Formats: sequence, structure tokens, C-alpha cells
Amino acid sequence: MPKYSSLQQVQQALHSGAESCEGLVSYYLQQIEQHADLNIYVEVYAEEAKEQARKLDQRFRENPQAPGRLHGMVLSLKDVLCYEGHGVTAGSRILEGFESQFSATAVARLLEEDAIVIGRVNCDEFAMGSTTETSVYGPSRNADNPDYVPGGSSGGSAVAVQADTCLASLGTDTGGSVRQPAAFCGIIGVKPTYGRISRYGLLAYGSSFDQVGVLVNSVEDAALLLEIMAGPDEFDSTSSQTPVPPYSEQLDFAGKARIAYFPTALEHPSLDPEVRAASQQLIEQLRNEGHTIEAVDFDYLDYIIPAYYVLTTAEASSNLSRYDGIRYGYRSGDAHSLMDTYKKSRTEGFGTEVKRRIMLGTFVLSAGYYDAYYTKAQQVRRLIQEKTLSILEEYDFILIPAAPGTAWKLGDTVDDPVAMYLADIFTVQANMVGIPAVAFPLATHSNGLPIGLQLMAGKFEEARLLAFLHDVVESVTYSRQ
Amino acid sequence: MSVYDQYETVIGLEIHVQLATQSKAFCGDDASFGGEPNTHISTISLGHPGTLPRLNKKQVAYAVRLGLALESEINLHSAFDRKNYFYADLPKGYQITQDRSPICIGGQLKIMVDDREKAVRIHHVHMEEDAGKSMHDSDDPYSYIDLNRAGVPLLEIVSEPDLRSAEEVDAYMSAMRQLVQYLGISDGNMQEGSMRCDCNVSVRPKGSDQLGERCEIKNLNSMRYARRAIAFEVKRQIDLIESGGRVSQQTLNFDPVTGETSPLRDKEDAHDYRYFPEPDLPPIILDESYVQKIREDQPALPWELYARLQEEFDLSDYDATLLTAELSTAQYFLQLNAASPHPKAAANLIINKLLPYCQEENIELTEFPVGIAGLGKFIQLIEDGQVSNTIAYQTLLPELIEQPGTEPLELAKKMQLIQNKDEDFLTQLVEEVIAANPEKVKIYRGGKKGLLGFFMGEVMKRSKGQAEPKATNALLREKLEA
Repeated sequence: MPKYSSLQQVQQALHSGAESCEGLVSYYLQQIEQHADLNIYVEVYAEEAKEQARKLDQRFRENPQAPGRLHGMVLSLKDVLCYEGHGVTAGSRILEGFESQFSATAVARLLEEDAIVIGRVNCDEFAMGSTTETSVYGPSRNADNPDYVPGGSSGGSAVAVQADTCLASLGTDTGGSVRQPAAFCGIIGVKPTYGRISRYGLLAYGSSFDQVGVLVNSVEDAALLLEIMAGPDEFDSTSSQTPVPPYSEQLDFAGKARIAYFPTALEHPSLDPEVRAASQQLIEQLRNEGHTIEAVDFDYLDYIIPAYYVLTTAEASSNLSRYDGIRYGYRSGDAHSLMDTYKKSRTEGFGTEVKRRIMLGTFVLSAGYYDAYYTKAQQVRRLIQEKTLSILEEYDFILIPAAPGTAWKLGDTVDDPVAMYLADIFTVQANMVGIPAVAFPLATHSNGLPIGLQLMAGKFEEARLLAFLHDVVESVTYSRQ
Repeated sequence: MSVYDQYETVIGLEIHVQLATQSKAFCGDDASFGGEPNTHISTISLGHPGTLPRLNKKQVAYAVRLGLALESEINLHSAFDRKNYFYADLPKGYQITQDRSPICIGGQLKIMVDDREKAVRIHHVHMEEDAGKSMHDSDDPYSYIDLNRAGVPLLEIVSEPDLRSAEEVDAYMSAMRQLVQYLGISDGNMQEGSMRCDCNVSVRPKGSDQLGERCEIKNLNSMRYARRAIAFEVKRQIDLIESGGRVSQQTLNFDPVTGETSPLRDKEDAHDYRYFPEPDLPPIILDESYVQKIREDQPALPWELYARLQEEFDLSDYDATLLTAELSTAQYFLQLNAASPHPKAAANLIINKLLPYCQEENIELTEFPVGIAGLGKFIQLIEDGQVSNTIAYQTLLPELIEQPGTEPLELAKKMQLIQNKDEDFLTQLVEEVIAANPEKVKIYRGGKKGLLGFFMGEVMKRSKGQAEPKATNALLREKLEA
């Protein structure tokens, strides 16, 4: 069990004098050291975090009201989020030595409320992967069983929270990269509505899918972090102008919910029987509690993954063009012309999975293939959006597994990327549609690993989604091994 | 009939106009020309990881302004696309442009060629960002990149293949340059690269309605180059066809030193730019009221001003054309005319004196040593008959330029240039002249009335230019015919 499972607990300890920020940071630094074998952190900002903690403690002593709303929040950042004056490499050699000159809007807003950033954590290279094995820093490991992956791409963030090396971690979610590792590590992962949190300072993978998300132990923390990060940002033209409700003050779910589930998902051949059983059990439980929970037809499930990989790789092939060895990051020492610099720097700087996706994306955008792939995939996306949103007009939530099974063993998917892609089947829908979704721990598999489930809601329905989760989490029991 | 006369030249132009916005197309960096290399930059124009574009709304307004002037349809639902290619001066590895739904569709621009008006159809106008500048020197193993220009907003104006000669290209480019200057959306300065063009050139037998295979000549940054490049290319294509060859679709480079075009790449090597919708920028949705607002605030267009000069001020085609060639000249004329409402006199002064002087001194009209107020008074002196036209131009104006602060009237008085109408003064002069030239008087009286000019001149000389011409003339006639 984590020492503190919510910021509220931390702040109670701070106010009672039982804890200090300095003590908190020391505790988490110890945890980091103790779990070094899990390969969670790319870089630990030990001295800086301690220094900031001391300053906060000083301010708190002078005036207990002075610190911001995130007083006592010790965070880690996925290695794709910019933090001014700190390295950011997207788990890639191509950004070797690169330091960001600005902070991502999401990060800056947390810092303004006195969050302490303890370090940046591992992830799949450019967030491309579902296991955190494609990182140039090597794989991170699942704290429940180090022979297993933590999921990905925000695997470092998930284990960081799972192993209690920080209270919360910021991840990013393009097709499930926050929710799937949260499910694999038995914690809560929230991906908000597309455009809810600014993408400024997030190293782009699939720009029309990417969204900052949180990995946490408690719904309360998720609500507070989202509330602080969300909202319009002049530096991201796709950020939404929709007002942000105070999620953290709206966590009581009034009345009964209408929930849809897809038999096509629960009967999907790829689904692990124990995950299916856990899902069915929850469905029964919710029904018994008086919620309306109904089976709804959804025939597009098998089209989601192909369309998703066409669209995200297309965007990625363009987004990653800037990493060319000219202005920053890795440049091949053996390049003697411009073309050479491009070819060699990119060949040596990018890993296999990233190259695979750049090639795929370049192909689907090529003259002669564009309509067959890109245009078609756009059409599929539109169909899935329309269908999903029409379901969400009738229902508050859609309940679906977070992943077909539990975490894989390290190395299991490395040689079969398509199998790995297909495992995104339940998480990608929320990104295709741009709706909020949460993954939460539900049970423990007979293999000892956590089973996570997922809830999706309509656009900008984070408040209701979090409130419902708050009730669900409280009413379903899950005990971590 | 020469073989070259049997062919018709067909040309379409892609003109790139740099917009005179303060900041760049998608970030707040300074968009002005020049500056120390790599000083008008930021993490956004450098394409740093995590940065995103944000639209400079001014460029949309400028695009609509141009579209309205070109009578284009304003696309209320336009969108940005990415054009992907690698180059050292393209920081993101793609250019943000409009491929599928440009901001302005269709339209036309009227040009004058050999005194005939011709409408050149516009295919579309789209917004995009400029790349940086690469500098290569053959003696240096390195290339130098200046990213000050990277991200500066551009409009690309694509014409239909309606142009038939280098002269028409010239007229079209001049008209476009004049238009963007009038609209205040660009300085149209070709030397600084604010206006550049790519020329699509093909030839076909006269009378044919099929288009020939075309070649695209890239980056012509002066009208003279465009002219030379087209002339060379047309001859090359005709020679090729006449010798039994075929023109193949190519992208060409023009070398101003040799005056020749040479292949940059063949169709087979053409870039696949892999255009796709820019996911970082939402579509640009405009409404009619936005367009209407811009329509209402639209500045005067060159042809409107030209018509006004002719109709309202009764100026000749020659004067009106010269005065409206540059917006600054037209504005100057209107100001001068406001200071002293004698349009013909103002036009003459600007065309015959001010423009040549400013060109000589390489200054702007507004920098002419004598200000508008002084020049207005200067014109008034002539119009009131206080100083003769000749004296004013030949004697008074040069002195005014030397002493720009002085009042024209004071100066004219000081220089004794004020014309004298006094009858006694004139009678005395006239009588002196008649007395001094008895032979000429005889001839005049014998019927050679043309000699009047001689007598006028003599009177003027004796009066040191102060004799008022009308009265002098009348008096001379009277005395000679008596």
C-alpha cells in the first residue's frame, strides 16, 4: 500500500505537523532508489525537489495559507512533457541531450499551484508502444511482478505511482497510453476530452489524438489535477474554450446512471476469460445497485485499430520530421552532406518501432495511396465518432475492458507488433472520438496481476465520469497484492 | 513568317506575396525583413519539440482583402494542410499551407497590354508560411541558414494559364504588385523577396486549344529575370519541338548570369509532398459579417483611384497612370491637391519635378525637402499669377529646395520674382522693346504675327521675368498693331 494514497491525506499530515514537504520528498527519493531495478526514472531531480520542498515548508511555517492547492503534491512527468530547463527526450536517442526552453502548459499550471516535480519517467519511444519496451533507456518493469511489463506508453508513469515513488504522474494518451498501463499496474488513469488540456509542450505523436492524462491512486487527485491543468490555452489552437467545472468539488454522484456495454467487446475472441468474468461481475453489481446497464450493438470494434494506426502514423510521420539532426538533438557524427545528415541521424537516432510507424505513415500519405488509406480511415473515424456519440446521447457511460488481458511478460510482443497494436482495441475508441475515459482497477487475475476496466463518457463529461468513478471505486472492492 | 511566329506561348503564374504583418503566421516572432541572422526566432519558429502553431488572424484579413479586390469567392470554410519535405531551412520538416480548401477561389485581375485591357483569371489564393533562407557559397564547404524568414506569412496567388507573352507577365506582375501595395498587405518589394514568382510556361501551335506540356521556372525574384527566363524558355521549347523532340514536364531553375533555364528535377523525381490536413489548426470558419466588415474597410483600389483622377480631377490618362502607379505617389498627389486644389498643376509638379528629383536623390516623395504645405503655396503662387510658371520652376523651386523652411511668397519677393502687372511699368518695357527692334516691328506689321513670341521674350528679359504675361501680351498686341 502507498504511504499516502491521496493528496488529502498528505495535506492532513502536513497540517498536523506529522509530515513536511522535505520529508515527503526524502521518502519518495528513497522509494525511487529502492525500486531502481524497475527502471522507472529517466532522470531524478533530487536536489531541486528537496530545495523546492524546503522553500515550501518555510512558506508554510510562515503562513499555512500561503502554499498553492497542490501543496504536498509530488509528481513525476512522462518524458514527453516539456519542463523548462530540463531534459526531454521522448525515450529516444534522437533527442539526446535536448533541454526544453519552456514548460508545457499543463506542467506550468501544476507548478503554479506548488506541485513538486521529482523527475521524469520512462515511456515508449515517442509514446509509440504498449509496453514501455521501445524506450532507448530500456524497459520499465511492473512492480507487481518485475518479469512483466507495466504497459505503455506511459509505463514509467504507471509504475512510478504503483511503486509509490511519487503521488501522481502525468502521462499522455494517444490510443490508451495512460489507461492501459494504469490497468496493468492497478491504479487509476484518466484521459480527458480531446482539447480539455493544452497540448502545448507535449511532444506530438498523433496530434488529433494526443491528450495529457493523469495516473493516480485516487479519484480525488485525478479531479484536482485535471481541474488545474484543464482550460483554454492561447498556445494550443485545438484547446477547448468550454468552461472547466470544479471537478474536485463535484465528486458526489447523484441519482442512477445509464450505462451501455458492447457484447461485441465482452465476447471478443481476444478477451481473457477472467477479464470477461470481472466485467460481467461489475455489470451485475451495478445493475443490483439500481443503475441501468444495457447491451448495445457496436459493430465497428474491429475497424478501430486499422483506422487508428493509419491516422496516427500519418500524423506521426509528419510530426517527427523535425527531428532531423540539424538544429538540436542527435546528429550522426558520420554525416558529410545534408542528405547524409538526415538519413544517418534519423537511422541512428530512431528505434525500430518509431521507424516502422514513420514508414507506415509515409506510405499511407503517399500519392496514389492517400485515398485508399488516409481518406478511408478518416471516414471510418467519422463513422465511429457518430455511432459512439449517438450511444452517449442515450447513455451516460460506456463500460468496456481497459485491455484484452493483463500485462504481458517482458519481450512477449517485441517480435509481433501487430499483436501489440490489436491489444489497443478497447482504449483507442475514446481517442478516435475525442471523449474522456478512465481506467480503474477492478480485480486481481489468477496470475497475480491487476485487471482494469474502463468507462467512457460524452465530451466534456469529466465531472460526471469522475463522480461516478468515485462511487464505483468506493463500492467495488479491490485490494492490491 | 518565322517558325517562332507559328507558336503561341501560354503562361500561368504562381506569385508569392509576403504579408506585411508585424508578427509571423503562426507565432509572435517579428516578421519584418532583415535583422541579424537568426534573431527573429523563437522555440515555435525553430520547430522545437512540443511547440504548436497559432494563427495570426491578420493574415486571414489580408487574404480576404486581396480576395475581395480580385473578385474572388471568399471561402468561408477554409483549412490548413501540411506539405511535407525535408530541407535545412524548413524547421518542422513541413510547411503549413492550404492545399484542399484555399481561402479565396477564382477571381480576376485586369491588366493593360498595348492599350488593350485584358482580364487574367485567378485560380485561387491560399495562405502559407515562408521557409527560412539558405546561403550557399561555392568556396565554402558549409551552407548558412537564416530562419528569420521562416514562418513569415505568404499569400500564393495562382493564375489560370491566361498570359501569352513576357509583356503580359510583366503587366500582370506590375498590376499585382500595385494592388498589394494599395491594399496595404505587402510592400511588394521584389529585391527583398516580398514578391517572388514561379512561371509555368508552355507553347502550342497557334490556333490549338490544347495546352502543351509545361515547365515550371522557379523563384523568379525580379520582373527582368522573369522576362528573360520566359524568352529563353519559349525559344528552347519551340526549338525542341521543331527538331522533333518533346517537351517533358520539368521544374527549372533560371540562372541570371547565363540567362538560361536548366532542369532542377524531372516529373519522375517530383516531390511527393504527402499533403494532409494540419491537425494542430482548426478549420478557419468565417461568416458573412466578417467579410462584409473587411469589404467596408477596403482601401481605394488602383483602378478606382485611376478613374477618380480622370473623372474628378480631369487628368489625362498619362497623368493618372503615372500618379497611381504607386500608392505613395497617389496619396501624395491627393494631399498636395488638398493643400492647393489645382490638380493639373499638382500633377505637373509631381511628374515633372518631384519624381525625377526623388529618383535622382534616391528618396521617397514624402522626403522631398519642401513639404506639402510649402509646395501647395508654391502652386498657389503660380496659379495666382504672382510668379510665372517658367520662373517658378526654373528659379524659385531650386532655391526653395535650398531653403526648405522659407515661405515661397517671401522667397519670391526677396528674389524679385513676383510678376508685375502695373500698366506704367509694362508700357515702358513694351515701348523700349519696340523702339529697339524697328526691323522686327516692320516684319510683324507686314503680317508675320508669329514674331509676337520674340517680343514677349524681349520684354520678359528686360523685366527679369517679372512682367505678367497676360497683360504684357495684350499690351504688346495693342502697341504693335497700333
